[in-house]
Amino acid sequence: MNRAELIAELERILGPRGVVAHPDALYTYDADGCVMDTHEPHVVTLPTSAEQVSAIVRLAARVGMPIVPRGAGTGLSGGATPMRGGIVISTARMDKILQVDTANGRVLCQPGVINWELSQYLKPFGYQFAPDPSSQKACTIGGNIANNSGGPHCLKYGITASHVLAVQVVLPDGSIIWTGDGSSYLPGYDLTGVITGSEGTIGFVTAAWLRLTRLPEAVRVVLALFPEIAGASSTVSQVIASGLLPAALEIMDRLAIKAVNDMYRLGLPEAAGAALLIEVDGVEDGLDELLNDVTAICWRNGAIDVRPARTIAEQNQVWAARKNAFGAMGRLAPTYYLVDTVVPRTKLPQTMDEVGRISREFRLPIANVFHAGDGNLHPIILFDRRDRSQNQRALEAATSVMKVSIDFGGVISGEHGIGVEKQDYMTLLFSTDDLAAMAGLHQSFDPRDLFNPGKVFPKGRGCGELAALRRSGIAWSALKSS
Amino acid sequence: MDLTILRTDLAGISGEQHVREHPADRVIYGQTPLLAVAPGSLEELSQVVARLAAEPVAMVPWGGGTQQTWGRPPARPFVVVETNRLNRILDYTPDDLTISVEAGITLDALRAALAANGQMLPLDSPLPAQATIGGLLATAMDGPRRLGYGSARDLLIGIRVVEATGRVSKAGGMVVKNVSGFDMMKLYLGSFGTLAIIASANFKLIPQPRAAASILCRAQTPAPLWKLVNAIAASQLVPVAVEYLEGIAAIDAPFALTVASEGLPAAVERHLRDVAAFAQQAGVSTEVLRDADHAQLWSMINDVPQTAAPAVDELVTRVTCLPADLNRVLTAARAAAREADLSLQITARALNGIAYLRARGQTTALRLWHTALLKVAPHTTLLATPPALVAELPAFGAQIVNLDLMQRIKQEFDPDQLLNPGRFVV
Repeated sequence: MNRAELIAELERILGPRGVVAHPDALYTYDADGCVMDTHEPHVVTLPTSAEQVSAIVRLAARVGMPIVPRGAGTGLSGGATPMRGGIVISTARMDKILQVDTANGRVLCQPGVINWELSQYLKPFGYQFAPDPSSQKACTIGGNIANNSGGPHCLKYGITASHVLAVQVVLPDGSIIWTGDGSSYLPGYDLTGVITGSEGTIGFVTAAWLRLTRLPEAVRVVLALFPEIAGASSTVSQVIASGLLPAALEIMDRLAIKAVNDMYRLGLPEAAGAALLIEVDGVEDGLDELLNDVTAICWRNGAIDVRPARTIAEQNQVWAARKNAFGAMGRLAPTYYLVDTVVPRTKLPQTMDEVGRISREFRLPIANVFHAGDGNLHPIILFDRRDRSQNQRALEAATSVMKVSIDFGGVISGEHGIGVEKQDYMTLLFSTDDLAAMAGLHQSFDPRDLFNPGKVFPKGRGCGELAALRRSGIAWSALKSS
Repeated sequence: MDLTILRTDLAGISGEQHVREHPADRVIYGQTPLLAVAPGSLEELSQVVARLAAEPVAMVPWGGGTQQTWGRPPARPFVVVETNRLNRILDYTPDDLTISVEAGITLDALRAALAANGQMLPLDSPLPAQATIGGLLATAMDGPRRLGYGSARDLLIGIRVVEATGRVSKAGGMVVKNVSGFDMMKLYLGSFGTLAIIASANFKLIPQPRAAASILCRAQTPAPLWKLVNAIAASQLVPVAVEYLEGIAAIDAPFALTVASEGLPAAVERHLRDVAAFAQQAGVSTEVLRDADHAQLWSMINDVPQTAAPAVDELVTRVTCLPADLNRVLTAARAAAREADLSLQITARALNGIAYLRARGQTTALRLWHTALLKVAPHTTLLATPPALVAELPAFGAQIVNLDLMQRIKQEFDPDQLLNPGRFVV
């Protein structure tokens, strides 16, 4: 099948508005938020139903062409980058919230629904979708499921996997299955659990039953300022160790404060080395007691100021600053590389010291805005992409952050996923046997390796065993030359 | 198969005193294992599995033995691989609120170690003195507090397993948030040991609450209790458990609902106050339980679905459905039990759509009751079945969806069907 025939076939399935094939348009699909590796797809499709997705997948399987799922393209690990070309399936037109079922604590929606819009939609019912990535105003539910996304409130409410009850999936053979209906303990293996976080490599989610979380009766937000980041990190470690359970514990360092200050008129003293955002929620009773205990720990660790956000408007302003901090980085440097790693929470202060050392060693400023309560770091390496030396140093600094995190007993991704960005670092964390077990799971779903290929598993040498497990089924070069 | 050679080889790995022939205390549905072997380390476990795979002979992983009646009997002669010597705490930094333990540690032993640091793993299970972490994970068993704290699905952050060939692999880690690689924890959790034997597991921990109490609402009919359940669901209260009870002698009432609250003292009192008010509106009596009375009540409730010692005429089942359907399902189960003249005990996670039912009576009556139950609750799993019925009743409900995909997974991990053959859906 040549290119024209392929496009004609896709247009027959999707209608002319459902297929993007113009070379200029394809260029916009060559990466997601991770721009280190880019590759254009051969064609982009915009289905509206599971049946259409299935038809595309069957066609792709017939011609041996890769499938690459794509939500809003906000991912930071290259999960939506078509590394081997192929057919991008965008969820842009699968954006409906289909059913709110409060009696069973669940909501049914399509994968293209925007995270923020879902929670806004649920508000009048008295519910929310708890996972709240910083990109929530743009990112989609499908992307959240693929990456098992986190967010500030995961500290109390858990990651996306805890909020996905069942998914409708198109499998690599084109079949459409439901993994459940939201009931617990269905007999057999937990397919919902293994599909969530598999980065689109074993199935394409076309609908999901998500867990509804009741909105809390009361919320308190406090911003504590510290002269140095060490005080804020120690506070977080001690809050966790003391057995208090805030809803969120987020740190911004000096550089980040500088970036958000102008944009959000927070009026934070730029002498402050770190700001710790603390949120507690629950029933009204006891909440002040909880907050008093947390702020006492702040003072003990040398806080210079503790500012309560008294009104909803003030709370929203503080949160807007936190969630848009990455966007504000543009005020500091032309480019940034956001690294996502996790360490055990007692190791936070030492890890932050190491991040400072890495910044000095590679002569690049590093800002920090992160989910401190979970031990989830986000060092933001600031550099100028046009400068080759800076480019190289940024990559090396990121590698150092990953190695330091592993040395402290941590891991290489807390919420952004492995994708292309970190696939070659997987061997720092996992043995060949570990990876082979993961490859075994992958094989049972996608034996021809056509779903989002070239992701998660390490490329390059030293993984012969793994490569043998992951039999390649791609005959794309033949098509490309035709 | 030469049992003597196999026995000698296993003794060479784990020591003579840790290999037993035809052990009478490891019988499953009348089948005595060929051998029982108790490896004392991860390396020994790996070597034992590799040796058994080379034979090849089927293996049944065995923790505390409290849930060996779940599902179906073994399909072939088997060797029991015991985890009781794998009972160490491998890594515990209390201030990180994470722990790594070997699979054979009992829930009580783990609880004691955590309590010394004011922490807990809020997974409940029947018979915590015997039940092991490995067994809990293999069956994905949990208790009433899953409402407040989630299940093992939410608390398990890392795992190490021995696969059917003896190969050791791990996934996850010792941090509370992690998307580095596939979530293999979800694959092994609840897989009945059919893909690999769990060797150790890492958990996220929770601080012990500063206060805890419960409120027990007794009633002569179920209807007002379900009104109460709905009132709690509609409120912004966050109880850690809402358990519906029926036919439990210790409760002194035919029907009851009990609600547990844990957290800050003021928040706990608020829950007791509000639930009492809802109960009054629904017209049911209430009793507040604190301290030892509170602990005793939940320990009793936890043990109701135990399957370590079922009576010979007893069928123990787990029913799952959408939460809003639970009352209807239990009403049907009750009616069918009355019609068949069976005694019935129920503990149900009222807001989760999960119920454990113990029915006792004649074989014919149990058969009729089970058929009626399957009609209203197709996801009914058998946890303990009278010998007369075990070959006949479907152990995993009316229909297993996506079975072909599950078989492909099984084929990848255990193509020779060595791990717990016959007992699970694949």
